[in-house]
Amino acid sequence: MSLIAAPLLLLWPGAIVLALLDGRRRGPGALAVAILAAVFVLLAVLLAAVVARGPQELVAGGWAPDVGIRLRVDALGAVFAVLSCGVLLASLLQAVITGIHARATPSLTLFMALGLTGLFLTGDIFSFYVFFELAMICAYALTAAGGGDRRVRAAFTFAVVNLLGSFLFLIGIGALYRATGTLEMAAVAQQAATIDPNTGLLIAVTFFVAFGIKLGLFPFHFWLPSVYLAVAPHVAAMFAGALANIGTYGLLRFGGAILPAELELSSAALIAIGALSIAYGALQAIARRDTREVLAYSSIGHAGYVLIALGIGGPVGIGAAVIFSIANALNKTLLFLGSELRGRLAATAFLVGVLSVAGVPPTAGFFGKAALFDAGIDAGSITTVTLLFVGGALSFVYLFQIYQHDRWRPRAEREREMPTGAASPGQRGVALAVAAIVVLLGLWPEPLLAIGEQAAQEITATTPGRAEP
Amino acid sequence: MAIAIGWSAGGGGFGVAWAPTWDLRLAFELDGLAALYGVLAAGIGTLVFLYASAYVPRHLAHQERSRREEARLHGAMVLFLVSMLGLVMAQDLIALFVFWDLTAVASWLLVGYDRHNRDARLSALMALLVTAVSAVLMLVGILMLRAEYGTVQLPELFAVAQESTTVTVAVALIAIAALAKSAQVPFHFWLPRAMAAPTPVSAYLHSAAMVAAGVFLLSRIHPLIQLDARLLDGLIVIGLTSMAVGGLLALGSRGLKRILAYSTISQYGYVVTMLGIGGAAGAAGACFYVLGHALAKSALFMTAGAVTEATGAKALGEVGGLARRMPLLAAGSGAAAAGIAALPLTIGFFKDELFFKAALDRGNVLGALAVLGAALTFAYMARFWTGIFLGAPKGELRPVERRLIWPVALLGALVVVGGLVVGPFADLARDAAVVTQRGAVELEAAYHLDARAENLMAIGAYALGFALFASGRLLGAPLSVFSRLGHDLGPERAYNASIRGLNRLSNRLHDIEVRDLRGRLIAVVVPGAGLVALGVAVTPTDGAYRTGALPAADVPLVVALAVCALAALAVPFCRRHLLIALALSGVGFALATTYSLMGAPDVALVAVLIETIFALLFVGVFALLPRDVLRREARLRAPRSRKLRDAAIATASGVVTSLVVWSAFSRPVPREGMSDRLSALAPEAHGKDIVTVILADFRGLDTLVEITVVAVAMIAVSLLLRGKLRG
Repeated sequence: MSLIAAPLLLLWPGAIVLALLDGRRRGPGALAVAILAAVFVLLAVLLAAVVARGPQELVAGGWAPDVGIRLRVDALGAVFAVLSCGVLLASLLQAVITGIHARATPSLTLFMALGLTGLFLTGDIFSFYVFFELAMICAYALTAAGGGDRRVRAAFTFAVVNLLGSFLFLIGIGALYRATGTLEMAAVAQQAATIDPNTGLLIAVTFFVAFGIKLGLFPFHFWLPSVYLAVAPHVAAMFAGALANIGTYGLLRFGGAILPAELELSSAALIAIGALSIAYGALQAIARRDTREVLAYSSIGHAGYVLIALGIGGPVGIGAAVIFSIANALNKTLLFLGSELRGRLAATAFLVGVLSVAGVPPTAGFFGKAALFDAGIDAGSITTVTLLFVGGALSFVYLFQIYQHDRWRPRAEREREMPTGAASPGQRGVALAVAAIVVLLGLWPEPLLAIGEQAAQEITATTPGRAEP
Repeated sequence: MAIAIGWSAGGGGFGVAWAPTWDLRLAFELDGLAALYGVLAAGIGTLVFLYASAYVPRHLAHQERSRREEARLHGAMVLFLVSMLGLVMAQDLIALFVFWDLTAVASWLLVGYDRHNRDARLSALMALLVTAVSAVLMLVGILMLRAEYGTVQLPELFAVAQESTTVTVAVALIAIAALAKSAQVPFHFWLPRAMAAPTPVSAYLHSAAMVAAGVFLLSRIHPLIQLDARLLDGLIVIGLTSMAVGGLLALGSRGLKRILAYSTISQYGYVVTMLGIGGAAGAAGACFYVLGHALAKSALFMTAGAVTEATGAKALGEVGGLARRMPLLAAGSGAAAAGIAALPLTIGFFKDELFFKAALDRGNVLGALAVLGAALTFAYMARFWTGIFLGAPKGELRPVERRLIWPVALLGALVVVGGLVVGPFADLARDAAVVTQRGAVELEAAYHLDARAENLMAIGAYALGFALFASGRLLGAPLSVFSRLGHDLGPERAYNASIRGLNRLSNRLHDIEVRDLRGRLIAVVVPGAGLVALGVAVTPTDGAYRTGALPAADVPLVVALAVCALAALAVPFCRRHLLIALALSGVGFALATTYSLMGAPDVALVAVLIETIFALLFVGVFALLPRDVLRREARLRAPRSRKLRDAAIATASGVVTSLVVWSAFSRPVPREGMSDRLSALAPEAHGKDIVTVILADFRGLDTLVEITVVAVAMIAVSLLLRGKLRG
């Protein structure tokens, strides 16, 4: 299927050409946006094909599947690819409208899109890793883009902590290859049933730590607030809305699809860590008085929700994780993009984001929250439901506290902290467009719920008849 | 109006699929219950909109705000009205929840309308947190019902639901949300605070709509509540408590709007009690009560607003003798107050008659409590109205628009009309009760000039109420003790304490957050090691770690690895930078040697190249760094405790990493012969050896991406080298 190759073939040359141009100018910026928009459309077509006809495949170089690299797209991969690309598109558009200060930003964004698209579309563990590295290195560079001591320092921390995570991931991949003799995800999943539980679990733990770092899960999150605070809002939106999807997707793919027995075995630990993450993120967020700091900490809490859904497992739990993650990525994009925009329309867009994170309808976030509760109830776990409730209550406190602090206080009280004037129509437009999507998915949730269900079924069906460990 | 016409035309409804995956439907039906609450929301809403069109410009002018802000209030009111109408007609619990939460959001925007005012902001936050967080419980309850019966359609649920613990818990959770919305004890504290809202908002939300939504929901799901008698009893307890607490606080308060807010708490306590009593009498009484109360209470709120606008007074004692100066307002609000106090010739009389009748059905104790509650109501209503309109005139009178007066008069007239021609009102309430009760309901409202129990109870309530009112001075002290007690021990204090406590805890946590790189790495390594250790602990390790044999041919390999390990161990003991670099490259070269011993000369060659480059790079960088910086850094000494800690962490992480690898290597080699197959394919890929074809062809995509990674790294580095990634 050339549908799989097309987005990569468009991004690759595009990013290289842009690397040679000065991205601060209008032209290259517009070109980058146009390329991303085209890729977004291609990925949407791919998603439609996956929804209609099931998973799509392509072996690079036309070799036999166990010789060459197999690209394989199922609903989970396709939806994350569309989502991430859309987030990058919105963020870059916002950056171009606002004005780009670093010449490499458009090119780096496209390279990041390439890395993310590649890792969501591949069916091969090692090629997942290399695409993942590509996305990450772009993220480090984007953190430092724009200059300043604070950003370079944040980029350094970001790179060092995450390279440690990548290194752990690589050890895990090596060990998994040694244990199963293959790098192809579907084949590994079949072989994994025969792995000794000890080996399997230890490998699963290294993957967990690696993706936990990407996702910003407590206690692996310490890099996250400094990075999200140091970068420009559009870069923070890229990280929270697109890059963090690696963590979610990785946990779902490696935990849910490749090592399901290990996932099941660690269910209690996942829920415990998820609970810690939720509590920690929320508690940190409550007294913060900088919107972006609140958002950074709330991301840590939201990583915990994904983990809880994974811990619940099964089609319902995994479906909830997918639905929640999609909503969460959209919310974070909207909030980061809107965090510094002023004016009534911008405030409305931002409010939509706040409501969605709180899980107040009619927003995508409401169905994310409902799906989580549904999974907890389906599993009959009072602890989980209580946890979700407490976490949700805390999120109400910090979200509306900061919203009122930021948007309701008289101008005289806040001018000192927030000198920005009203947003330009273009900036508002981007934020409003994302807000419209969030509301639309709240009013017509069927696509969201259906894709969650399909993704969960495909993932859980790849490993039929697995014996209990 | 359209709702009334629609309902009299037989109601109707529609349903379309919404989200088939979850089996959700956008199903709405204009049944009796929806008609009652819909008429209230739309009818009173219309009057309030008229009132607000005069009130809000004045309100903004007082605060020197722009007229443009008026739109914000009307926008939120319309949002509220629409959500309220959706709420009352929804037949799908999820759809119902959507509108439920929207009313909370609209109310938040409205209570916080005076956003420059800190008190208004805090009140808005409180109203939102109490109603929206409790709403999450409702969502949980709905999803529990869905998990149990596979549907959230109310008609289907009513048909299949049976008594069970799950259903009881689910319904209880929904009921909590409803009680919080109707400001019932112990969630009542948000309502008096919500009086920070502009008066039209209170006249609408806090009399006829927002707080009514709670009892509406209880009525809507009443068939489910009826499944468990404990739920009904719980409602009675909460209803009576709210009735008493609200009544006492109303009697002890001075603020005009505050008295009305407490009165609302108390009045919805009546309704909740009747819903708890259940049966035909309870259902009919509850529905009628809501109708009678809403008309009168919104008139009273508008009165309070008009009085404040005309005199500037906000509390009893700051105003008096207005009856002569504002006769129409006095008459309208007099009728409304009489309605709340349940005097004859008002619609309120019947609401209490029905209440007494329902209470008596459940025994004399409840009947006695009902009389006490009614007496309290009479007393505070008398105090409220006489305090404003009788006595010596006080203060100056400013002219106010007529639009602030005649909605009150109109509602007052309706209250009296309802007392004279109760038929249409009774029909509306009866049709609503039919839905609640899912069966025929008799609602008989008429004057009986005889000594039946209800009449005697009413007379008793007036007498007792008048006694309470007359002894107002005497009651002052105990009432203020009661309200102080409530303030010191009540739920509002708990709310404030928890918000403050959470913020304090948050600050404390933030202070101990890790901020240096070393700490951030430790926070990854240590928990990671802990998790691996946990993994080892919970899985069977029997046979998981094999040592295998050591053939003589492998001895050089072991030696090379030992050199590698020694070099690595030497690194932390080196102080000078050059030595550290040399030791590190020693590790690399030793590894390169092991590759060559394992039959991978090409890999070894690459490793040697890389190590050489890095060694030179380090040396080059050191040559460029200022000498004194290097010297100073080399002299730095870490405290002993930290050295020990770091050593322990390093050892632990080394050990667990080894365990991961060791465990994997203890497995038999899978898929033997794969390398032969790849080698056989090498000519097809136009390559001579397996490594080349893998890198350049079979897995060429990986190589390409890796090259891209290097390119991106170079872009980043080149930008960094230009000074500051600015290009």
